[in-house]
Amino acid sequence: MPKPSDLLQGTLDLLILKTIAREPLHGWAISKRIQQLSDDVLSVQQGSLYPALTRLEHQGWITAVWKDTDLGRSAKFYSLTRDGRQQLEREQENWKRLSSAVGLVLKRA
Amino acid sequence: MTPTRLFRICRHRVQSIWRREALDRAAARELSFHFDQLVAEHIARGMQPATARRAARLALGNRAVLQEQMRDARRAGWVHDALQDLRYGLRMLRAAPVFTCVAVASLALGIGANGALLGVMDALRRQLLPFPDDSRLVVVKTVPLETPARSANASLPDYLAWKDRVDVFDALGASLVDERDFGAEADGVPERIYGQLVTPSLFAALGVRPAIGRTVTDDEARSPRAAAVLILSHQLWHRRFAADPKIIGRRVRANGVSCTVIGVMPPDFRYPDERTQYWAPLPINPIQARGSARYFVVTGRLKGGVSVTQAEATLAAVAAQLATDFPERHKGWGVRILPVRDALFGWTSTPFLTMEAAVALLLTTACVNVAGLLLARGTTRRPEIAMRLALGASRERVVRQLVTESLLLVFIGGALGLIVARWCVRALTSTFPAPGALAIHHVSMDTRMVTLMFVLSAVVGVAVGLAPALVGSRRPLSSIGSGVAGTVRSRPPLWGTFATAQIALALVLLAAAGLVANSFLRLAGRDLKFDAEGLLTFDYRIPGVEYTRLIGSYNGFPYFEVTQSPSIDLQRVYERVQRVPGIESIAGISYPHLNSLIVPEMTLTLESRAQSSPGDRDGLTASYFLVTPNLFSTMRVPVVAGRDLKNEDTGSTPWVAVVNETAAQRFWPGENPIGRRFTLDIVPDERPREVVGVVRDIPTRRAQTGGEAVIYTSYLQQPSRYRGPWISMFGQMTFLARTTVAPGSIVSDVRRAVADIDPNRPLANVGPLADQLDAQLQSRRSYAVALAIFAIAATLLAAIGTYGVMAHAVAQRYHELGVRIALGASARQIVSLVGGSALRLIAIGLATGLVMALLGARFFSFQLFQITPTDPLTFAAVSLLLAIVAMVACVAPLGRALRVDPTVALKHE
Repeated sequence: MPKPSDLLQGTLDLLILKTIAREPLHGWAISKRIQQLSDDVLSVQQGSLYPALTRLEHQGWITAVWKDTDLGRSAKFYSLTRDGRQQLEREQENWKRLSSAVGLVLKRA
Repeated sequence: MTPTRLFRICRHRVQSIWRREALDRAAARELSFHFDQLVAEHIARGMQPATARRAARLALGNRAVLQEQMRDARRAGWVHDALQDLRYGLRMLRAAPVFTCVAVASLALGIGANGALLGVMDALRRQLLPFPDDSRLVVVKTVPLETPARSANASLPDYLAWKDRVDVFDALGASLVDERDFGAEADGVPERIYGQLVTPSLFAALGVRPAIGRTVTDDEARSPRAAAVLILSHQLWHRRFAADPKIIGRRVRANGVSCTVIGVMPPDFRYPDERTQYWAPLPINPIQARGSARYFVVTGRLKGGVSVTQAEATLAAVAAQLATDFPERHKGWGVRILPVRDALFGWTSTPFLTMEAAVALLLTTACVNVAGLLLARGTTRRPEIAMRLALGASRERVVRQLVTESLLLVFIGGALGLIVARWCVRALTSTFPAPGALAIHHVSMDTRMVTLMFVLSAVVGVAVGLAPALVGSRRPLSSIGSGVAGTVRSRPPLWGTFATAQIALALVLLAAAGLVANSFLRLAGRDLKFDAEGLLTFDYRIPGVEYTRLIGSYNGFPYFEVTQSPSIDLQRVYERVQRVPGIESIAGISYPHLNSLIVPEMTLTLESRAQSSPGDRDGLTASYFLVTPNLFSTMRVPVVAGRDLKNEDTGSTPWVAVVNETAAQRFWPGENPIGRRFTLDIVPDERPREVVGVVRDIPTRRAQTGGEAVIYTSYLQQPSRYRGPWISMFGQMTFLARTTVAPGSIVSDVRRAVADIDPNRPLANVGPLADQLDAQLQSRRSYAVALAIFAIAATLLAAIGTYGVMAHAVAQRYHELGVRIALGASARQIVSLVGGSALRLIAIGLATGLVMALLGARFFSFQLFQITPTDPLTFAAVSLLLAIVAMVACVAPLGRALRVDPTVALKHE
């Protein structure tokens, strides 16, 4: 199994926002989900996830509540705020522009 | 940013500061949940629990570091650093209470006084004037081209020329100060009220409409005699007429004439000064229009788009034309246009700017002082700071902590400064309204002023804290070990400079305060040459309309003829008041002593020199007073030759006069003036008067310096016809009564006695003369006291600064002194060593201060009375005072230097 790639700086925010767009998730679930959805290519550095979550929360993009998990332990569930949803759209736009630009460079160079 | 997001962010910020522990706990829980999940996953894959845990720890990383990163993400770190600095700073300040008190007190004084003065000056700039669109309102002044600083108001020909010949004003109006005696029949007592005579165009220029009624029409102001109508101020309407809703059309007796009230101005309207209570039409007749007296305030509203400079240029052309056409009236006169705000509040600029200079110096001294003390402490704290730097604190962090300490100090000072400022503002606005100007209203400790003081504090804080912090944090590692007894050469050179600067600044302030105080004392303490104690004074007059007829104009003033001598009425009052119990003697004089804007001047012809050349004429003028008998005995002015006027000098006896010593000297040098005769010029029906007495000079104005020839004649020996500008002197009297009881206690008796003669004529300016003379000095006194307080504060600061520097120098040289004493230095040698450096420091400070003060002194020479701005005595006295204070401040450090114990000092290192 190849070693999962480190995440590009700055894309972590986008991935977190996208991951919790459908349903509230706790930190552990977010990291698992990112790994699954990327077919184990992307792996969130366990350490960098929580400072990122805190930062997003303090920027008002996401909000958190303590809830019990299916297994009965309480965990902090993050979900998007209305502002966060708009921010996600903007970030997605940016990402598309960036990746298509990179794609163009790779194709034409 | 949407409001909900903003709210969310704010809530998080606040929580991260106030609920730091709870958030830390939550973060720990979150991380441990993640950890447990990791462990569970590893176990599920078949690891042993112990191995699983180790793997999880490796994957997650150091949880303490993670928590720290989360804390950083909450962006609250700086707040906690600052709080820590603050706590530390407070501890440091508490540890040095004397230093803290001195620093805080001096900063409070400096910041408070500066804040108050700057705030008041700023409030004046912004003060809402009771006129719409006041930026276009201007006051037009005339200026002598030779001495442009002494501007005057305008003469009627000036006003008429400006009004008719130029096209820069929407409206131009003139006004002239006036006062009228309101009769008793209105609502209450008779009283004298100040007002203005105005042209109808003045209200148009000001752009103000009356609250009720109307203003003056052109017809009502037409010559020769204006309509008897009055517009009342809102205040007068309320105070005297109980806000009578039917006031319009009501008839009021003023100066013996029945006038109709036609309007009441809005509550906030005041123009051109504070005491104006009514406005009446100013009649302009053709004769008056040739007068040259510059007594009219001319106010104009500039046309839109016309600048002050343009208008001034246009009017200057008119002035030049007038000077060519009528050189005797207008030659040498130019024009100046002042924005109305400057005209109304211009009086504040000189005293306020002088005081601002003083408090700015004071604040600078305080800053220098605190900076010096901080620097001193910085040196003492060198080991501590070096230790912190060595332990890994960044230089920025150390500087921030030191600046936090100074900011803390300054903001405590600033907060106390608010109290000082509040007090200062009250003092400024209550003691400084100059007579004849608008008072300063609506100045309070508003948010703007508090903001100003806050900014001031912050600037001062950084200024004070940064230098010592930068110097203090630059210490190498090696200084950890060395205590206060560092090397001999480690004294920073800044030190002495701080103390010298303080001494110099203090000397500047002391010199200024000394000059002003000296000048005030001379003015207040000048021998008035009569005994003011125990005198009761009041003004009384017969309205001009009752004894005069207008026949022309002289220098722009109406020119009247006496139709019926008012002296009979004055005599009745004089004789009636004499019988009031408690009055020992009473006398009257036509113009109040020391308090007259105008004193009539008369030219005269001496009988013995009637044929002398016309060139002598210039010297033969004298101030001229009408008096009752016994004036000089009542005032206790010595009669040096001849006699006082007596009751026997009446209209039917030969006309006589009393002159003062200067007049006797000037008119009959080397001769005996008694029995000499002279005749007043211009006055028809005037008879020769014989000098029967010579009295000691008494000043006619408070600040009068040179001798002034004065002639006193009896009010009963006056011509039946008089033509001239001084007509009112016949009908008015300032009475002075020497009382056997306290002068204030018989005022109501005197009032009743005067009402017996005519209930419609008021007493004005009633009260003990000593009180009135004292009140004249009030604003000068406050000014001198304020400067003195600032100067004393600066002196104390300089003393503390010098003490600090010397104490520190001794502490620094403790080791060296120990060595010297151990090697046999005598007490004298130690004293000369330490004292020598102190003396050098003081001497340099004094010399610098003297130079600065001498350079600055000429800027307020015009505020001084009878002393020059470089008065050697004042300068010597303040230098000596400061030198002594500074030397006393050195005594304790010197004592410490003498008590250095060599064994202790040598063991110290």
